[in-house]
Amino acid sequence: MKGIWWKILGVLIFIYVLVGGLTVPLKSGITSTDPGNALSGEHLALKIHGYNSHFYSAKKNRAWLKLDSIHALRALNFEVSSENDAVLHFDLPSYFPGKVKAQPLTLILDNEVDGVFVQPNAVFVSVTDTVHSDTIIPSGIWKSADLGHFHEAKSLHFPYRNILNETIRNTFFHVALWFAMFVLLIVGLYHAIKYLMTGDFDHDIQSASFNRIAIMYGVFGIITGSIWAKYTWNTFWTTDVKLNMTAVAMLIYLAYLVLRGSSSDHDRRAKMSASYSIFAFLALIPLVFVIPRLTDSLHPGNGGNPALGGEDLDNTLRLFFYPSIIALILLGTWMASLLIRYQRLKEKIFMSNQ
Amino acid sequence: MNIIKVKDIFIKELSIEYRQKFALGGIFLFAATVVFLIFKSFNNINPREWTILIWIIMLFAGLNAVVKSFLQEKKETYLYYYTLFDPIDMIVAKLAYNFIFLCSLFAIILIFMGLFSGFPVKDWTLFFSGSALGILGISIVFTFVSVISASENGNSTLMSILALPLVLPILLLLLKISAVSVRLLTDTAIMEDVWLLMGVDCILLGAMILLFPALWRL
Amino acid sequence: MKNKSTIIKYINIVILQLTFISMATAAGSTEDFLRSTGKIYSVVAVILVIFIGIVIFLFRLDNKLTKLENQIKNEQ
Repeated sequence: MKGIWWKILGVLIFIYVLVGGLTVPLKSGITSTDPGNALSGEHLALKIHGYNSHFYSAKKNRAWLKLDSIHALRALNFEVSSENDAVLHFDLPSYFPGKVKAQPLTLILDNEVDGVFVQPNAVFVSVTDTVHSDTIIPSGIWKSADLGHFHEAKSLHFPYRNILNETIRNTFFHVALWFAMFVLLIVGLYHAIKYLMTGDFDHDIQSASFNRIAIMYGVFGIITGSIWAKYTWNTFWTTDVKLNMTAVAMLIYLAYLVLRGSSSDHDRRAKMSASYSIFAFLALIPLVFVIPRLTDSLHPGNGGNPALGGEDLDNTLRLFFYPSIIALILLGTWMASLLIRYQRLKEKIFMSNQ
Repeated sequence: MNIIKVKDIFIKELSIEYRQKFALGGIFLFAATVVFLIFKSFNNINPREWTILIWIIMLFAGLNAVVKSFLQEKKETYLYYYTLFDPIDMIVAKLAYNFIFLCSLFAIILIFMGLFSGFPVKDWTLFFSGSALGILGISIVFTFVSVISASENGNSTLMSILALPLVLPILLLLLKISAVSVRLLTDTAIMEDVWLLMGVDCILLGAMILLFPALWRL
Repeated sequence: MKNKSTIIKYINIVILQLTFISMATAAGSTEDFLRSTGKIYSVVAVILVIFIGIVIFLFRLDNKLTKLENQIKNEQ
């Protein structure tokens, strides 16, 4: 517990996460397109509303409607009305490959300021003339299938997700809280085992303090999670497994607090709570890691995928997510060390009174 | 671990239980009353309610049953046991006793439920293997928690506070397994849940055997 | 004892704030505000929850330490 450098480090990293996590802009995205349906062979005037886009300041706005990897249609005209609003004009061909009656088209936009961004299933085209996939589509209809060179976005930005929008920044606070909670619980577990092995009362104090801070983080995690859920899934509480399993985990650890408060005998309380916390931690492992994997969940990383792979966490998010975990662990350790020092003092006074 | 010693403790538990017939009768009476109450209030019980109710009755009847298993003896008698038995023998015997006791309790609840409100189970092997594993898990948690609460002068409130959240994950798995076994929902991967239940049992059993020696001389 | 009452007052203020925030998030009229500009204010709400939580922790620790100090003072 010597030195103050890690406390300062924790605060600095947290400030970095707060400032960076709130100021880095989101990548441009498309919030709405109108109309949602069109007929093949007709002229389509597509009104789009962008988010964080720079149609007006950008010089080279380009747009495509993409059907699959070889079929794409370039916009004839890109009418910019403001930074975030534009009207795109397409001549939809009457021939569509495949037998499907309704074809979903993906909208791709590209300019030199925002880079390239995509809205999947932007328009559904009802096909009046279907062509068998084996017949050759007359050339000249899908003439701009080659999309050519895309621009890269100029500045650092977080990915744009349709429902998440700006709340993707909650990754740094809500998700990182759970990771920090686990690290603190493991530290508490280590001290509990150490206590049972050595019988040194100081380990009991440390174990209890780390567990307490971890439980506090868990409560924060549940509250912040339900706020986030309100603005993405539109409800404070869902039947999502991961959510309910963590609620059960929190109940188990709240019972730990009750246990610690129940006994007056120091030695007995220490032994009981150390054994219970080891038992509880082991009961927690299937709860948090195994059961949610087996069931489908609204949370990312469920149904067999690793929790933090590929799509869900891109490199710019990592730039703040990992520091955030470290900062929360350091701050948690600081808070735990305050509790430890308080308990030690209390212990000393208690001993000197006897 | 000494098998003969384990058997001795087991028989001792059984004879103590047998001598206190009123306590034993009380638990079975509790189960019978609740089943009858359910039969009278739900006139026509559907399989979904059947599975949920059976585990809820099991949970509370079991909790009542195990609370007294460590509490029926005075603290002073434990001082005597310290000199006689190895802690691991002691806990294994207690666990085996609790497991068999809970299994018979479960069988009685099933018989009552079967008599009053039918028996909708379609997949017998799944239901009984899942139930056996689940009851093993429940009895491990209850035994462990009853050791803790016994050292706290037989505080039965503490017992239920500690035990209920710990058995929740086991119960959730059990509810899913029994829902599949009455064909309420079909799940081809249900065996994964059974294996998971077995894994949870193994982890909890190992933890209990490792932790009990530190706990029992409190 | 004067110190203690002020702390309780502070805690009350914090709890009031918390209830206000939860009411604000539940109410329909402020809903639009919290959803505006790409739901950025829900991020603010999350950060506020963490901050208020840590503040509550600090106040409680402060309270406990005051008690301990008083105990030492009484003994001397």
